[in-house]
Amino acid sequence: MAPSRALAGLLAAGRRAPQAAGAGAHSSRFVLPRTYHSYDHPPPPGVFNAAEKAILSAAYAHVPEHGFTQHALSLGARDAGYLDISTSLLPAGPFSLIKYHLVTKREALAPKSAGIFGGPAAAQAQAVPVEAKVERLTWERLQENRDVIHRWQEALAIMAQPSLVPASLHELALLADEIYHLSGDKSVDPSWYTKRASLSTIYASAELFMTNDRSPGFGETQAFLQRRLKESSGVGAVLGNVAQWVSFTAAAGVNVLRSKGARI
Amino acid sequence: MAARPALRSAARALRPSFRSCSCPSARYAKPFSTSPLPQKPAPTPNNPDASSFSDKTTHFGFEDGLSEAEKTERVAGVFHSVAESYDRMNDLMSFGWHRIWKDHFVSSLNPGLSSHNPPTPQNILDVAGGTGDIAFRMLHHAHQLNRNPDVRVTISDINTSMLAVGKQRSLKLPASQQTALSFLPADATVLPAALAPNSFDLYTVAFGIRNFSNIPQALREAYRVLKPGGVFACLEFSKVGNPLLNAVYKRWSFSGIPMIGQLVAGDRDSYQYLVESIERFPSQDEFRDMIVDAGFVVGGEGYENLTGGVAAIHKGMKPLDAK
Repeated sequence: MAPSRALAGLLAAGRRAPQAAGAGAHSSRFVLPRTYHSYDHPPPPGVFNAAEKAILSAAYAHVPEHGFTQHALSLGARDAGYLDISTSLLPAGPFSLIKYHLVTKREALAPKSAGIFGGPAAAQAQAVPVEAKVERLTWERLQENRDVIHRWQEALAIMAQPSLVPASLHELALLADEIYHLSGDKSVDPSWYTKRASLSTIYASAELFMTNDRSPGFGETQAFLQRRLKESSGVGAVLGNVAQWVSFTAAAGVNVLRSKGARI
Repeated sequence: MAARPALRSAARALRPSFRSCSCPSARYAKPFSTSPLPQKPAPTPNNPDASSFSDKTTHFGFEDGLSEAEKTERVAGVFHSVAESYDRMNDLMSFGWHRIWKDHFVSSLNPGLSSHNPPTPQNILDVAGGTGDIAFRMLHHAHQLNRNPDVRVTISDINTSMLAVGKQRSLKLPASQQTALSFLPADATVLPAALAPNSFDLYTVAFGIRNFSNIPQALREAYRVLKPGGVFACLEFSKVGNPLLNAVYKRWSFSGIPMIGQLVAGDRDSYQYLVESIERFPSQDEFRDMIVDAGFVVGGEGYENLTGGVAAIHKGMKPLDAK
C-alpha cells in the first residue's frame, strides 16, 4: 500500500477537500477524502449526496434514449419530483451524469468481485492468479457499458474537453486501482505504477474498441482485451528479464574491477 | 518586502475621510487585503420600522461596531451615489470581465430550460439586481435560447436609485421581455409578505449579498420564498487562492479602484467601501457552510471559482422534504 499512499498524498494536495455528503449530516459533512484502500477504516462518504443521487439515478434511466445530455438530466429531475431548475445544482451538468456512470459502475465492482471469486479478496488470493482476476474484472467492467455504449462516444467527447480531462483521467486511474486492488495485487515497488498505467491504457482502448463493436455479446471486444493484456504481460516479462541481465552484468563488472584492486 | 513602505504610504493615501475607525489596530493588522471590483447594489434593511432591527452590530467596510440600521443607511448612500456611473465603473474596474462572469453565471443556471412541451413556466427572483444586469441576461437566455416565454423575472433591490437605472435600461428590451419583468423595492433580509413562501424557482443575487446587513437572515428569506427543489444562486467576490494573483489583485483593488472611482465617478469613499466590503466577505468554504446552515443542499464542493477565486458562484437547493 505504500506507493498508493504516496500517490494519495500527491492527489490530495492538488485537490480541494471534500465532497458534500448530505444535507442533514452537519458534523460529518466534509470528511477528508481518502484515495487509497483501507481494510481498517469504513469507506469514505460517496461522491454524490442524496439529492444529487436522486436526480442522477433518475436521469441515468434516460441516457440510452437521450444520451448524456442536459435533456436527460431535466427529465430525470422531473421523474424524481424536482424542478427543471434543480439540475443546476449539479456542478458540471452533463459531465455529472457521465461521472455518475463511472463512479457507480466502479463501486459495483467490489460486490461483483466478491460474488465471482468468493469472499474478500484476501481469502482466495492464492486460488486464481492476479492476472486472471484482472482480466475478468476488466471484462466485467466493460460489460457494464453495454446499455449506454451507443452513447459512449458522445460521453468521450465531453470527457475530452480540456477542463474535464483531469477529472476524467482521475476516474480512469481510480478504476485501474480498484481493479488491481480487488485482484489482490500486493506490489510495493515501481511496478505498482506501471501496472496501473498499462491497465488504464488497455481499458481506455478496449472501451473505444467497444463503441464500434457489433459482434454478439461483444466477443470481439473481449478478444481485443485479452490480446492487449497478453501483450502487456509479455512486454513486462521481457523488461524484467532485461533488467535482471543488466543488474547481473553490472554486479559482475564491479566484482571484476574489485578483483583487480579497484577500491569500489 | 521592499514594496512594503510603498504599500504603507499608499494605504495612508487611500484612507477615506469618513472612516472614523474606532479600532485602528484592526485596520492595520492586514494592511493590504482587500479586493477589487465593486459591483452590484446591495439590499440592506432600511425601513426603520422593521422589527428585525436589533441592536446587533455589523460592519461597514473595515469599520466595526455599526448597528444594522446604520449599515443599511450607509450602503444606501453608497449605491445612491454610484447608481449613475455603475456600469461604466464596473467595466473599468474589472476590465470588462464582470460581463463574462455574469454570462457564465446565467448560462450555468440555464433558466427556462424545460423537458416539457410546452415548456414549464418559471418564476425568478433577482435580488439586489437593481440595474438589471442579471435579470436581462436571464430573460434573454430563457426567451431566446431556451424558447420559454413563460419565464418571469422579478428584480428586487433595496435601493430605488439602482432600480430606476434598471427600469430605464429595460425600456430597450423587446416588449415581450418587458412584460415578463417586474420591479420590487424590497429589503432582502425582510422580503415583503407579497412574496409568498414556496413561490420561486430560482433566487439569484449577484455582487450584492456582501452588502446585506444580516446575511444568514437573507438566506433564510431566500429559503422561505423558494419552492422545494428551487435553487439559490449567488455570484460574489471571494478569496483568491494563488498568492501571486492575490498580490496583484489586492494591489489593484486597494489602490487602483478607489482612484478610478475618484477620477470617473468623483466618489472615492463609495469605492473604498466596495473594496473593503469584498475583503470582509467570508471565504468560499465559510459562505458555503452558511448556505448549508440555512437548510440548503449543496452539490459537489458547493461553489465554483471564477478567475482563480476573484469571484465565486455558490448554489444551494431547497430540499424536497422542506417544510
